[in-house]
Amino acid sequence: MAYTLTRADDAMAADNARYPLGERQRVEDPLDQQVHRSVFTGKLEEVLHSAVNWGRKNSLWPYNFGLSCCYVEMTTAFTAPHDIARFGSEVIRASPRQADFMVIAGTCFIKMAPVIQQLYDQMLEPKWVISMGSCANSGGMYDIYSVVQGVDKFLPVDVYVPGCPPRPEAFLQGLQLLQDSIQEERRPLSWVVGDQGVYRAEMPSQREKWRDQRIQTTELRTPDSI
Amino acid sequence: MSVATPNDTTANDAQADPVVVALMQRFGERAFVEQATLIGMPVLWVARDSLIDVLRFLREMPEPFNMLFDLSATDERLRGNRQGLPDSDFTVFYQLLSVSRNRDIMLKVALAESDLEVPSSVSLYPNANWYEREVWDMFGVTFHGHPHLTRILMPPTWMGHPLRKDHSARATEFDPYTLTVEGQDKEQQALKFDPEAWGMRRGGEDSEFMFLNLGPNHPSAHGAFRIVLQLEGEEIVDCVPDIGYHHRGAEKMGERQSWHSYIPYTDRVDYTGGVMNNLPYILAVEKLAGITVTDRARTIRVMMAELFRINSHLLFLGTYLQDLGAMTPVFFTFTDRQKAYEVIEAITGFRMHPAWFRIGGVAQDLPKGWDRLMQGFVDWMPKRLAEYERAMMENAIVRERTRNVVAYSTAEALEWGVTGPNLRATGCNFDLRKQRPYSGYENFDFEVPLGGNGDVFDRGQVRIEEMRQSLRIIQQCIDHMPDGDYKADHPLTTPPPRDKMLQHIETLITHFLQVSWGPVLKPNESQQMIEATKGINSYYLTSDGNTMSYRTRIRTPSFPHLQQIPAVMRGGFVPDLIAHLGSIDFVMADVDR
Ligand code: SF4
Repeated sequence: MAYTLTRADDAMAADNARYPLGERQRVEDPLDQQVHRSVFTGKLEEVLHSAVNWGRKNSLWPYNFGLSCCYVEMTTAFTAPHDIARFGSEVIRASPRQADFMVIAGTCFIKMAPVIQQLYDQMLEPKWVISMGSCANSGGMYDIYSVVQGVDKFLPVDVYVPGCPPRPEAFLQGLQLLQDSIQEERRPLSWVVGDQGVYRAEMPSQREKWRDQRIQTTELRTPDSI
Repeated sequence: MSVATPNDTTANDAQADPVVVALMQRFGERAFVEQATLIGMPVLWVARDSLIDVLRFLREMPEPFNMLFDLSATDERLRGNRQGLPDSDFTVFYQLLSVSRNRDIMLKVALAESDLEVPSSVSLYPNANWYEREVWDMFGVTFHGHPHLTRILMPPTWMGHPLRKDHSARATEFDPYTLTVEGQDKEQQALKFDPEAWGMRRGGEDSEFMFLNLGPNHPSAHGAFRIVLQLEGEEIVDCVPDIGYHHRGAEKMGERQSWHSYIPYTDRVDYTGGVMNNLPYILAVEKLAGITVTDRARTIRVMMAELFRINSHLLFLGTYLQDLGAMTPVFFTFTDRQKAYEVIEAITGFRMHPAWFRIGGVAQDLPKGWDRLMQGFVDWMPKRLAEYERAMMENAIVRERTRNVVAYSTAEALEWGVTGPNLRATGCNFDLRKQRPYSGYENFDFEVPLGGNGDVFDRGQVRIEEMRQSLRIIQQCIDHMPDGDYKADHPLTTPPPRDKMLQHIETLITHFLQVSWGPVLKPNESQQMIEATKGINSYYLTSDGNTMSYRTRIRTPSFPHLQQIPAVMRGGFVPDLIAHLGSIDFVMADVDR
C-alpha cells in the first residue's frame, strides 16, 4: 500500500508559506522495510501500530463545529435515530484542544477561513479532517465571491463525504472510512521511538470500488408511490 | 379550477390609498413619482432632500408606519426597462410596515453614481443601522450621519462592493483562494475587536471591563455568529454582534440563475425551513408571470410548508432547551424530526432541501399512499408535544430560568423589525397567514397563538402552540385535498408539461427553450411576503425582461432579530444571553444570506 509522508519538523513555516503546511511525499509502507531488516522487531512494531490505531479509531472525539446546513445533518447523526455512539464518536468536544477530528460541515466562507485555520491549529495531533458536503468539498453550488472553493484549499482533508447535504448515514459512512484509514496509519509510537514522520495510507477511491456494482442497476423505483 | 388569491391584485391602487393621499397633501404632488408595479403596495420615488421628512411623517402619523421592514438598494446602471422612472444609477429603497393599518409603503430614492450619499434614518428607525451598513458594504452608498458605517457582511479586508453590476460574481473569476501564514496573521489581526472604534470605554468608575469574544464558533451561537461582550463581572454592559461569517451571496446568485434554477438556492436561505423558502420566491415569480395555480397545488404547498414549520420548530425546541441546560429533549425532538423526514422524503424525494415547488405548481403529484403516511405523523405528534410541555415548560427549573428573562414589549419589537413568533410572544396578533392570506390560507381553520410577556418562556411556548396549529392545518389538507392538476396550465409554467412536448416540432422547440434557458418574464417588479418559520420572509424581484432576475432582494427575519440583541441585553447576565440566543431561533444563513 502506498503512503503519504508528512514530517513533523516541516511544520515550522516561513511567512509566505501556504496552508496546508508541511511537505508531502509519496512513499512505500515504512513497516515493509522494518520487516525486511528484522522479522522480529518488524512484526512487533506492526502489532504495536495496529493496537494503538485500533484504540485511536474507536474513540474519535469530534469537535463541535458547524458552518451551515450540513451541520444540521451532522447533528442528526449524533441523536437517537442514528446514534453515532455505535462508532465511539459521541463525545462532542466544545474545545479544539480536546478533539480528535473536525468535520467541516457546511460552506467555507472567505471570512470564516482564517477562523477555521486557527481552530484547526489549536487541535492537537493526532488530528483528522472530514469534509462534509459539496460546499466543503468543492464550493458546491456556491461558485460565488464569498466562498472558498473547497476547504482543501488550506486544510488537509482525510475523507470527503459527497451530498448537499449528505444524509446522516453518509456522514456515518465517512466516519467509518476515516476509521479504516486510521487503522492503516503509521504515526510515531513515541517522540523518542523511531521515525518522526506521519505516514497516511492512500485509501482506495470509493467511486472506483463500487462502480461496477453500481452500473449494474437497471431499474429505479418510480416516485409515484411511497 | 382555480381561484384568485386576494393579494393577486395586478392593478396598482396607489391613488386610492389614504396614506398616499395624506402624503400628497402634506408634501405636494410634485414631491413624488409613483411607480406602477406588481409589488402590491404604493411605490413612491422621493427626492433625497425630503426623504427624512417623509419618513418622519409616516413614522409619526396616526396609525403610524412603526416598522422599517426592509431597506436595500439596486444598481440600476444596466437596467434597460425603466421608462417613466426618475434617472438613477443606484436606487435605495425603504419598505415600511404599519401593523395597525396592515399596509405597507415603499419609498425609493434615486442617486447618481457621482454622488452616492443618503441621509441616515437611524434616528427614526433604529434597525436601519445594519441595513444601511449592508447597503454600504454591498453597493458603496454612504449614509450621512450613520453612527458606525463599516462593512457588515464582507471581511474588513475586502475590496469592492459585491452587488454592484461591475463586480464579479463567481469565485472562479478571482484568483484561486490561498491562505499563507502571513495572510492568516493579517486576517486574525483584522478580526480583533477594538472597543474604541465602537465608542466603548475600557473601564468604569472603579473597575475595568472585560471584553469577551463569543464566537464565531461557539456551541450556543447556532452557527458562525460572533458577539463581543463588554462585561462588568457577570453583567453585560454592552455587546456588539458581528455577522457576515455566513454570507453566501444568495442575492447576487439570483442575477445569474434562471428564474427556475434559482429555486434550490432559496431552500438554503433558512436552511431548516426547506420548501417554506420556495414559497415567497415562487409566489413572487408567479405574480410576474401572471400564473394562477390550481387549488391542488396551493394546498400541497401549504401542507408541505406547514410540515417544515413543525420540523423547524422541533429543531428550535431541542436546541432551545439544550441551551437552557437540558440535554435530553434534543434526542426526543430529533426522533420526531426523523418521522417528519420520512414523510417529506416519500413525497419530495429529499430531506432538507427538496426545492420541490415549481413556477406554476409543484414538482410532482403526491405519491400514492401519502395520506396514510402523513396521518401517521399527525397522529404521532400531539402526545409528544404534550410530553414536552409537561416535562419542560411546566418544569419549575425551566420556568424560573426563562420567565421574565430578556423580555421586551410589542413596541420595542416593532421598532427593531422583529416579526414572527418572537413578535407574537409579546402579544401582538400579527400573522400574515391571517392578516394577508396567501396560497389559500384563508380556507383553513387555525388560531394564532400569542404570548403575553415577550420573554424567553413565551417565545418557546408560542412555538409549541404553533406546532399544534400547523398539525391542524395539515389535518385539513389530508381531509380535503382537492383533486385536479398539480401544475397550472399556463405557457410559463416551468418545466412545461411533458405530454405537450411530444405533439410536433414547434412544441418540442418551445419545450427545449423553456427548459434550457428558462422562461422570460416581462419587465416589472413584484414581491411576496410570507409567514416563514422564523418570521416574515420576503422576496422582492425585479425583472428586466430576461431569463433571470435583474435584482433579487431577500428580506429575512433573523437579520433584524440579531440586530436587536444589544438593545435587550444591556444590563443582563451572560447566561441570560445564552438563553435569549436559544429563544430567538435563528440560523446564520437566514441572517447573512
Ligand atoms: S453542501 Fe449543501 S447542504 Fe451542505 S452546506 Fe453546502 S449548501 Fe448547505
